[in-house]
Amino acid sequence: MIPRFSLVRSRTLAEAHDAFASGGGDTAWIAGGTELLQVMKMGYAQFDTLIDLKQIPDLHGVEERADGGLRIGAGTTHRTIERSPLVRRIVPALATLELGLANTRVRNTGTIGGNIAFAEPHSDPATFLLACGATIELASPVGRRVLTIGDFVLGPLWTAREADEIVVAIHVPPAGPGTGRAYEKIKFFERPAASVGVALTVRDGSIAEATVTAGSLTDVPTVVPAAVAALVGADADERSLDEPLRRATEAFGALEVGADHNGSADYKRHLATVLLGRAVRGAVSEALTHA
Amino acid sequence: MPDTIDLEFSVNARATSIRIEPRETLAEVLRERLALTGTKVSCDAQVCGACTVLVDGLTVSACTFLAADADGREVRTVEGLAADGELSLLQQAFIDHAGFQCGFCTPGMLMAATALLEEDPDPSREAVIQGLEGNLCRCTGYAQIIDAVLAAASLREATR
Repeated sequence: MIPRFSLVRSRTLAEAHDAFASGGGDTAWIAGGTELLQVMKMGYAQFDTLIDLKQIPDLHGVEERADGGLRIGAGTTHRTIERSPLVRRIVPALATLELGLANTRVRNTGTIGGNIAFAEPHSDPATFLLACGATIELASPVGRRVLTIGDFVLGPLWTAREADEIVVAIHVPPAGPGTGRAYEKIKFFERPAASVGVALTVRDGSIAEATVTAGSLTDVPTVVPAAVAALVGADADERSLDEPLRRATEAFGALEVGADHNGSADYKRHLATVLLGRAVRGAVSEALTHA
Repeated sequence: MPDTIDLEFSVNARATSIRIEPRETLAEVLRERLALTGTKVSCDAQVCGACTVLVDGLTVSACTFLAADADGREVRTVEGLAADGELSLLQQAFIDHAGFQCGFCTPGMLMAATALLEEDPDPSREAVIQGLEGNLCRCTGYAQIIDAVLAAASLREATR
């Protein structure tokens, strides 16, 4: 059974912050509950009060930003994102990622904000959004701040969010001309065993800029700079990619990969390098269609 | 005295009012308060799908869904599939195609497949596989289950 708690159902951010202030400290925010209820049921966490954020309209929905990027309300479910025409148009790889996340039931209830805030090292969205340069918008009772995913996720199940802050939105920048973004993963259970995110820009036929991230391998989704160095300058066509990809693969050898229930460190590293090849080729092909 | 919530929701099209604790899951309320034990709990971790029910037409894991979150909403369980004692096309197809062995996963399979067919009345085999991916059958009778869902879909198309 879930340990006993009181439930406050907030209709606005101000109501939620007021409830937090009067909650005596032993409170937690709850949205879809797919992460929080699970750890409470298993006895890893207990709170006097849960403050429900699901009914706050500001936290829902996907919008196109003035710069052509996306603002995704933190309370938007994975299912809504997977089906959003805006997401499919602006960040197609995110729609595909969401379609493959956990299972339909989790996608119907779980939210993207909850996923990011829980900071599970095997998070699908965090790994990909880190490659995209996405940012997290947080609201405290006194104001707002915006952090990159890299600054937000500090460790396994650990973020820079202060206790009274609510994750309100995820911002994804637009893909400029010649930019392609891809996410590849393999899963044996609900969460990925290994995953790779790639964002790259092709200019004059070669890779001018890139970001490569690895998920589920280390404590937090990680940028792999040595893989980027191997790719930048490479000619963006099928055959010319083989050698840069071989060097990028070597860069993954330097990651301190942790073994887990998915397999040994070497095995997971191997999986990631296969995914790396697929993600880079996928991103290049998308980049060439955006040229 | 713990906090309580007066939950008002629809269960299989029947208006239902019940006083619950915030911590009670939908599976607990259905099974232990409303005696609707068709909904099974197995992994208790949103992985196996045995506890699949529909809330406003969407599948959820009742084991990890607060009953409080069903307030004002429409819940459907396996008990609601047969109308006036008559099995649904899908239920009959599960029998005709031997879509179960031990039967423990069946209520969840039926609810997941019901949601799938309501959304996509004529799914491809791949769509059925994708739609039921999160429902596990330990007897591994997946092929018959998929056959049953496809058969129900074509029967429905034929009787339209």
